[in-house]
Formats: sequence, C-alpha cells, structure tokens
Amino acid sequence: MKFRAVMIDAGPMREFTNIVSTISRLSKECILRLSPDKIYLIVSEDNSGPAPPMLWCEMPQSTFFLEYQIVGVDDEHKDIYLGIVSANLSKSLVTLKTAKCLKMKLTKKQCPCLTLEIEMPSSTSQQSRQVTHDIPVVVIPRKMWSEFHEPRVPHPDISIELPALKQLRTTIDRMKCMSPEVVIRASAEGRLTLQIKTDLAKVSTRFKDLRVEAFEGPIDHSDSETETQTMEDVSRTCYCRVDAKKFSMFLSADQISHNRTICSIVHKKLVILCLQTEENVKLQCFITGIVY
Amino acid sequence: MDSGKTLCSLIKAIQFQECAVFCAMQEGLKLTVEEGKCVQASAYIPADNFNEYHVRDDVDVMFKISIAVLTECLNIFGSAEESSLKMYYRCEGSPLLLVLQPQSFSNVMTDCEISTQTAESVLELRDEDTEEVAKLVLKAPAFLSLLVDMEKTCDIIEINLSPEHPNVSIVTYGMQDRSCIDMPKSSDMVQSFNCEKSVTLKYQLQHIRLIMKALAVSSKVVLRCSSNGLLLLQLKLEKEDQRQMFSEFYIVPLLDD
Amino acid sequence: MKCHIPGPNVKVLGRTIHALARFGDELYLESSPDAILLRTLNAAESAYAMIKFNKVFFSYFNYNFYSTDDKEGLKCKISMKSALNAFKSPTHMDKQVENLEIKLDPESCKLIFIVKCKHGIVKTHFVSILDCKAMQAVYSKDLVHSRITCSQKIFTEALGNFQSSDDQVTIEANSNSFIIRNYIDCNIDLTKVIRTQINIKPTEFDSYVIGTETIITFTLKEFKALLGFAEALSLPLQLQFEITGKPVVFIVHNGTTFEAHFVLATSKPDTNTQASSTQNSSAVKRKRKEVHIKSNSPIKKKLHLDVDLSKYLDEDSHLFNYIDIPIEKDLNNIDELVHNKTTGSQSILHDNMECDNIIPASPTSKIKIKAIFKRCFESTFDPRSIQGLVLAENSDSE
Repeated sequence: MKFRAVMIDAGPMREFTNIVSTISRLSKECILRLSPDKIYLIVSEDNSGPAPPMLWCEMPQSTFFLEYQIVGVDDEHKDIYLGIVSANLSKSLVTLKTAKCLKMKLTKKQCPCLTLEIEMPSSTSQQSRQVTHDIPVVVIPRKMWSEFHEPRVPHPDISIELPALKQLRTTIDRMKCMSPEVVIRASAEGRLTLQIKTDLAKVSTRFKDLRVEAFEGPIDHSDSETETQTMEDVSRTCYCRVDAKKFSMFLSADQISHNRTICSIVHKKLVILCLQTEENVKLQCFITGIVY
Repeated sequence: MDSGKTLCSLIKAIQFQECAVFCAMQEGLKLTVEEGKCVQASAYIPADNFNEYHVRDDVDVMFKISIAVLTECLNIFGSAEESSLKMYYRCEGSPLLLVLQPQSFSNVMTDCEISTQTAESVLELRDEDTEEVAKLVLKAPAFLSLLVDMEKTCDIIEINLSPEHPNVSIVTYGMQDRSCIDMPKSSDMVQSFNCEKSVTLKYQLQHIRLIMKALAVSSKVVLRCSSNGLLLLQLKLEKEDQRQMFSEFYIVPLLDD
Repeated sequence: MKCHIPGPNVKVLGRTIHALARFGDELYLESSPDAILLRTLNAAESAYAMIKFNKVFFSYFNYNFYSTDDKEGLKCKISMKSALNAFKSPTHMDKQVENLEIKLDPESCKLIFIVKCKHGIVKTHFVSILDCKAMQAVYSKDLVHSRITCSQKIFTEALGNFQSSDDQVTIEANSNSFIIRNYIDCNIDLTKVIRTQINIKPTEFDSYVIGTETIITFTLKEFKALLGFAEALSLPLQLQFEITGKPVVFIVHNGTTFEAHFVLATSKPDTNTQASSTQNSSAVKRKRKEVHIKSNSPIKKKLHLDVDLSKYLDEDSHLFNYIDIPIEKDLNNIDELVHNKTTGSQSILHDNMECDNIIPASPTSKIKIKAIFKRCFESTFDPRSIQGLVLAENSDSE
C-alpha cells in the first residue's frame, strides 16, 4: 500500500480545508477512502454499529492534486480505506489557507500515519518553513469495506433547491434552541416550510419561489396527522420530521463555496441534502426521518 | 414595526429569568421580570415605536410568557437582520402571534404562536411614602466600563453619595482586598447630580451586575435612591429614528445586621 | 515605596501583570534604589518570571518612601488575583488611565494602587500583603553558549501548528537546523495523538548562535504567555539556553526602561525505551523542578512592625543601629547575590543554598531543593544517543 499526493494551488487547498473542517464538525471520526480517481470522506452515525453512512463526500482527485500516486493491496483492491479522527485532520489543516504546498502521504512511524508536510511561507523573511504533522490512522481491512459503500436510497418524492444556507442555518439554529425536532415540508409549487411545535410555541418559517428539480407526486397523506393545510393541495406536498441538530450541522457546510444545494425528501422517511461545488465535489447528508 | 431588532436587544437585556409578565397599555408595551423579591426589571416600549398600535382600553392586557422563546422568535432571521414585526393577541388564554419578515429577503416569512399564561401580580416595590434622597444621571457606556472592571467575585457593593467631594464613591469588598472608585460630580460621565445629605447604601454586586446587558444598549442611566434604600435605575435606549425605549431596574438594598 | 507611572507605561505594567499571572498565583514585589522588580513562580516551580522596571519608567520614584532606613526597600508578596484586579483591561488602559500611583500604606499594611482615570475618576485598590519576603531564582544568563534573537512572531506562528492539547514543546537546535516539536510523553498512546514538527531555517532568525547541539523540552503554557507579552509590546525576543536540564531564559527588554526574564525549566525528553510508566511520570516532574528558588526573608515579618520600630529608631539611634544589623546582613546577602549573578559566577548557587536566610517552606522541602539541585548537574549527561535513535525513527518517512 502506498499513497502520495501533492497540492499546490491556493483555491483547492482552501476548499479542502473547508470540507474537512465541515466534516470534523459533523463527526468525531471519519473514513478517508482513497481511490485512483476520487477521494472520499465518509461518516457513519457515531453511536451505531454497522449502519449506512450519514455523510458522503466525494472529491475528484485531479482538481485538487498536482501529483497523485496510489498503490492498493493488490490489483483488485486499488482503494485504501483509512479511519481517522476528523478533528485531527482538520486541526492540522488550519494553516493550509496560507500554505505554499501540501504533501500528503501514508507512512509508518511506529504506527500507521497520514503524514502531512506543509510548506509555510515565513512572515519575516523569504524563507519557508516545513511543518510536518503525523496523524495516526487505522487501516480498514478489506472485509469491512462494504460498510462504507454509498448508501442506496429510495427514490425521493421531491427535490427542491434550498435557499441560502447561511440564512437557513440562522433560522434552524433559533428553532433548535426551542425544539429538538423540526419538520421540513416541501411542495411542488416551490415552497419550503420549517416547522417546530412545542408546549411553549409553534413556529413556522416559509420560503417560497424555490426551484423544484423533481416531483414524483401525488403524495399519499391517508395515514397522516389530521392537521389540514387548507392553503395548498396536500397531495403536492411532502414532509419529514428530522433531528434539528443534524440538519443545522449540515448547514454549516455553507463555508464551502458551492453552486447549489438540493434537498430531497422521501415522504416521512428520509431527507437527503446534497451540496455540489464547481470542482465537482459532492457532499451528501442523509438524515432519517423521526416517526412516532 | 419596521424592525424588531432593537426591541429584541432590549428584551434580551432583561432576560435573566425564564418568564416575563407582558403588559400592553395605552402608553406602550411593558415586559417585567423579577429575581426573587430583590430585583425587578422592566423593558418599556412606548407606543410611538410602533407604526400601528391598538390596545383595548376596557381591560388590562396582561399575561405571562417565556422570554427565551420570545427572543428566539424575534431573532429567527438572525440578529444582524432587520425584520418587520407584527404582534397580535386576542384575549386571555390565546397565544401571542408574531409575524416576521426580513427586509433583505422577500421570499420568506415566519409566523409564531407563543403560548401565554395568566399573569400573577407584579411586585410593587415602590413605596409612595418614601422620598427620593439622591438622583444621579450618568453616561451608560462609561458606567458599564466601571462595572466591567469590578472584580466579579466581590459580594457587596457599597455606594456612597455625598454633597461633598468626591460626591460618588463606590466600594467593593473582595476576599482580602478592597477597591474604591471615586467620581466627582464634575466628571464628564456625570450628567447631573442631586444629593442634599450623604447616604451610604449597600447592595449585592450580583444584583447590580444584572443591569450590564441593558447598559450596553443604552445611552444614559438615571440612578434614584429613596430613603428606604431602594435603588431605581432607569436606562434610556435611543434608536436611530429618534424614538426611545427604556429599561428600569428596582434593586432592594442589603440591610445591615 | 511610592511611585508614579505615567499613562502609556501603565499599559506596559498591565501587560506585565497579565503575563506574570499566567505563570504564578503570587506576585513578589521588591523595590531597590534604582528599580522595581516583579517576580513570580509557578506552582510546579518549573517556571519563573522576573521583570525589572528601571527608575526612568516612573514619573516619580522613591523606593523607600516610608522607611527611615536608607537601604531597605519594599519586599512583599501579594496575591496575583489582587494585582490583576487593578489591571482589568490592559488593552485600553492607556486610553483610560492618566496616571497610576503605587504606594505602601504602612498603617494598614496594604499596598495601594491609585488609578487616575479619564473623566476625573479615581480607582483605589487596597491590596493585602501576604508576606514580606523576597523570592529570587538563580539562573545564568549572558554566559550561555546558545543564543537566538528574533521576533516573537516566528514562534507564535510556529505554535499555531500545534494542537490545543499539547502542553510541552521540544526544541532541537544545532548550528544548521532548528526544529520545534510537540512533546509526546511515552505514556501516551501514539495512535491517539498527532506528532507535529516544524523546521525553521536558522537564517530566519535575527541572530542565531548555537554553542552545542541541544534538545530541550519545556512547558507551552508559559511559553505562550511570554510570547503574548512580547507581542503586546512589539519587542523582539532573545532565547538563551545551554543543555538539556538547564533552564532556558527568554529575555524581552526595551533598552533602558525595563527588562523581563522568563525562565523555564527544561526536561530530558522521554524515550520510549523507558520501562515503568508510573515511575516515569513522576520522574519527569522531578526533572523539571530545576529553577532554583531562593527566598530572602527579613527577620522582621510584619511590615507595620517594621515601621513602628523605625519610629522608635528616630528617637533612639542606638537602638536603630542595634536593630539594623541583621537587616544589613540580609541585604548584603542579596547584594552579593545580585553582584555575583551579573558577573555570572555559577558557584554562588551553592553558597547561597547553604545560607541560613533561605527559607524553604519546611525543612523537608529544603532537602528537596538540594536534591533537585544535584539533578541539575546530573543532567549534563543527557541521553543524546537514545534520543537520536527515536529521532531517526520519527523522521523516517517513506
């Protein structure tokens, strides 16, 4: 197994840092999967054993790295899966925004390490400084790889573009303080509603005129709560109740410069949030619905 | 109201208890919180701050509400955002309705229903029989910076007011040490000073520190001491549109054993 | 003692107190005919700081205002918390404060800080004096072989690469290379921590002289505090160090008005070959206690007593002379120490340790100090060879 990669452009370095720091806020540990054409960051739910990933991020290596060499265990297993403490990776990369060059490689220094060699400019002279971080990693054996495959999800009932993530996050964060759960409701007319309901208050924030990417209606509401929405045709609306904290955490991805973010809902079951960037980075978050 | 931002920061300044008594009068809105029987704080928003203001004059509109929920709702678009605000309340038992719309985004709005409870009576700390023994008007930011620099661990604050120099002297007692702040009435931070006879009053520093958030958003503070030792602090918040909002704190003195 | 400090210098003093507060919980204050010295020592006795403010720093200076005895200045210990209280917000102190007066109130045995602020406000802090003794660490400076001068920025930026959980750093210096590493205790599971090292080219430093190739390890908390101090005052930093086990001295000064010395004990780097883990950690602790502390306590403990006596002394010069003798001795002792320190003789350490006037807190600790002292010399043989091995392993990458 061998891995070596070099990054020299400021843009990708900044983006890589932002992605990693977003991931580190979402989870304590993550899987770094290196494959010949892409690198992946995969997060499973913290508390559970084998479960489909909650967060799936893929980056094409060619847009980030100048040099990229990988040798897997054998010809059939070209990938390398590494378990890593997300915070360790993100904290080591904080200085990357001003760096000249980043070299990443797999090393064995008493234990398996992902070694980052960062060349930093000096603020006081023309010289540069060499910073080396040896981050301990766990090499994931082949038999466990299947746990980290891209989750297969049912076909969403609706896919709608989200409003500015920052704006959405402020609202969700206020709601999060009042209630642990939030209901996300999307309609084929381009409306997105966030609702919370507690003993103390009912709050609903409505966004309208959002672009609907796909709608697979009509939605069957026969087993729904009796709450009637007279204003709109219910068969053209679907909803899902999710953990407000998880939703808010995904929204912190707003620091990654992105093209668009799509929210897909499988009625009452699942919310899939997908952020895409110009460099073809795809960050997906799967939040399962809470059903009573 | 075009922007609920200032209103929210004023309400936050008295947010040291879970619940507040919300009272709508002809003159304006008033929210009151109490800390034990020692401190009573109110935020007062005169009716002229609202573009439209209607309140029934035949009954008292008064109810209890979670102040935390109220501030979260007012802030739903973030504290940086100016949002227009409408508030409705029908009758006892019905919720307080808020409708908010941010000024910079047109495609979004929020409505909130905040549940209300019947209000218990508010403490009447004012005693009509006592007279005011001293009145002091100070610049709020300067007074705040004095309080910020005071040692937090001190329990007691002693305020000495006197017609003689240095007029105002504030003493705090720490573990082993004692600190003293002298402020003559000629100081720029003192805008007016009235005191006929010297008085010494003691309060819990914790109680005085409750006013710090309100000081941070205010421009001016009036301190009134009555002969029974009750301290009334009135703070004025001046908005960009020349309108004013106020907060008031009654603080009960520590009595000598 | 009585002195006045003009507004801009109050900020410097404020910064000093805040930096010292990150070292120790107690502040020792001493006035001499031409300067005021502030000192502190951390609880583990592995870090010491001394800042000397020369007469020119003050707008008024009288080192023994109340004392009739010509030679005795003020020696006292106050709680660091009390001192901080008088310098709550050093960042804008220069804008708010016009003048600061520090004086001893002999009546109440308090040290008084009178802060004259803008707006005609006067803040007075009455600070209790905890003790009337002086404390001094003995270390050598200006004689050492290795010296580096640079802007604090180089180190501040370098430390930015470390994790917040790192608490010690190791510097590895030879004439061609300078490496800073986070220190990894051998008890720590290597699969849990990031190992970071930064290579800085010696040419980045303003001056760089390494007498003997050295590896030293010291605490990060105090290092950061002193860097913050140098940064706040935008002054360069000078490092002086010798070999493993001997303290590293950081010097910040602005020429004429003040000079600060920060002394950090250094320890031998742990090697992974070391066996017993429990013994090991205590060994590290002991190794680090290598700042040698020497306290001078006047015979008369209470300050107010001091003054009472001096009142009598005025009336009776005979008594005066009589009482004065022990103090004189005591003072000479310090003078001697100071003198020797400046000439740099190291042997003086021993003489002083034997001196009666040293007051370790209890007899047991006195023995301890001696023992620690020995260790200092033991450390001359530092396990370079073993260290070298570890190094090779660490840097062996691909």
